[in-house]
Amino acid sequence: MTHKPIPKMLRYAVWMVVIALALAFLFFRADWDFDYVIPKRLVRLAAMLIGGVCVAWPSIVFQTLTGNRILTPAVMGYEAVYLLLQSLLILFMGTQSLVALGANGNFALSVVLMLGYSWAIHRWLFRDGRNNVYFLLLIGLVLTMVIGTFTQFVQFKVSPGEFSVLLGFSQASFGKAEPGQLLASAVLVAAVCAVGIKTLPTLDVLSLGRDQALSLGVDYQRAVRLHLALIAVLVAVSTSLLGPTAFMGIFVANTAYALARSIRHRVTLPTGCAIAIGIFILAQLVVEHVFNYRTTVGILVNLVCGAWFLALMVRTRGNA
Amino acid sequence: MRAALFGLFIVLCGASLLVGAQQVVWSQVFTLSGDAWLTITASRLPRLMALVLTGVGLSVCGVILQHIVRNKFVEPATAGGLDAAKLGILVALTLLPASGPGVRMLFALAFCFAASLVFVAIVQRIRVKNTVLVPVIGLMYGGVLSAVAEFYAYQHNILQSMQGWLLGDFSKVVQGNYEIIYLILPIVVLTYLYAQRFTVLGMGEGIATSLGLNYRATVALGLMLVAVTVAATVITVGAIPFVGLVIPNLVALHYGDNLGRTLPVVALGGASLLLACDILGRLLIYPFEVPIGLTAGGVGGVLFLLLILWRGR
Repeated sequence: MTHKPIPKMLRYAVWMVVIALALAFLFFRADWDFDYVIPKRLVRLAAMLIGGVCVAWPSIVFQTLTGNRILTPAVMGYEAVYLLLQSLLILFMGTQSLVALGANGNFALSVVLMLGYSWAIHRWLFRDGRNNVYFLLLIGLVLTMVIGTFTQFVQFKVSPGEFSVLLGFSQASFGKAEPGQLLASAVLVAAVCAVGIKTLPTLDVLSLGRDQALSLGVDYQRAVRLHLALIAVLVAVSTSLLGPTAFMGIFVANTAYALARSIRHRVTLPTGCAIAIGIFILAQLVVEHVFNYRTTVGILVNLVCGAWFLALMVRTRGNA
Repeated sequence: MRAALFGLFIVLCGASLLVGAQQVVWSQVFTLSGDAWLTITASRLPRLMALVLTGVGLSVCGVILQHIVRNKFVEPATAGGLDAAKLGILVALTLLPASGPGVRMLFALAFCFAASLVFVAIVQRIRVKNTVLVPVIGLMYGGVLSAVAEFYAYQHNILQSMQGWLLGDFSKVVQGNYEIIYLILPIVVLTYLYAQRFTVLGMGEGIATSLGLNYRATVALGLMLVAVTVAATVITVGAIPFVGLVIPNLVALHYGDNLGRTLPVVALGGASLLLACDILGRLLIYPFEVPIGLTAGGVGGVLFLLLILWRGR
């Protein structure tokens, strides 16, 4: 299948827009201050680049594995685990947990815990050879509800000062990323991408569905496990680096399909990453310069992408 | 079976009256005055009534929603109803800060009803491949509603107190501030009267219409009943997850889906589960108590997980 020239130009246009947004983000009202403002913005920009990949990749791959376009890995309970960890830290150690652990310690702890969670849930569920992604989804759903209740309780218990610290963790934002964490995340993401890029053709076959993939000679069980593991790493990185971004994945993935006009992952994945990065930059620009920090990137992204999701659900009469 | 359930219910009611931080001297109670009598009438009895009514209301709500949506995994918490009620209270608080609980309940009711209508419309439009997706869509839908609420609350700096409203807690239930919960009583009676119609509703729009049911009107009625119950419980005690999910599923496993017959069992089961969770919450860190939202979330969540795993085999 040859690509028509127009979609190709569209994809380049997406990248051009992202680059333009990045430049605008770096230099808008910066007064060419290369000592403070611009280096700080560069750090945030790096966080957005990593975050964009970490949001787009898992969503698109997860949708391929489930054969469903309205799901994101967020419903599997990762974000709930992250929020519970942050709430418990604040409840038991107070704001001192910030000092005791340091930002890097907290980041490492979050990543390890989420990887452990996904390892446990996969291991436990795939124990007897059952491999039903929907089953996994249901378990994740119930766990999300249970953990959510516990988190709510903790958030209600802590003092307002501690709550505002907690709020910083429970809302996606780019202000809390430190260069050290960024480096660690970049290494993790690069490793995942290196493994993932090799298996892109397999992913294309997986999108045909389980039976087709099996008859085409793909070790379905193994491939699904590998990709779920990669997803777990990326979701862990994105959640601990940025905070929860529940809806964004659905929006990013669906826009990527629409713009790429192709279902080959070689095409959709980079486009998705570009869209995610673009959204992050745009949201950050709006938060900084329009809302003047009266709202957060997380709330804004959830609001816009959520509204879009609702519109999608109401308008489409198609399959889900 | 039913007799055993009824017996359990009575025992739990008795236990609920006996447990509490304030020691009750029972010899005083029969004089119908004094401290013990006050404790019983002002705190214990209202709490018992609120618990029973909430349990009955939530489980009946779950059954109605499950018949309307035709999906066993749906309850107000997984259909956006709770988040809509939260948003309604928030709007009432910011628009009319001086309003009483009645006005706030009306807002919660209106938002919850509208949100449920939208949810049902969404679910009926999509051809869903897997039943698990319906609650997932519901949760995401709830997430959208709470994103709106958060956007609003973050600017007014009331996010933390918003978390508080939604956590089910019966410790504030005393004489004088829980009476709204009695709204559930007529709801349950109405549900019982319309039980046959809801059963037919569960067979789908085609069959229901050809059996002579006014499909749209019945759906609207069902959603209205759900909205009133959810609004009344959220205002008085807060959100309690899983009751509307676990009980109807357990009952349906044993007795099937004929609502006329199963409704009493569902109601008793819901009340018993809630009573048990409440007693547990009051004993865990006696003389303090764990909010029932937490115990119900834990117990209900574990029960539901077991149910899924057991059925999955």
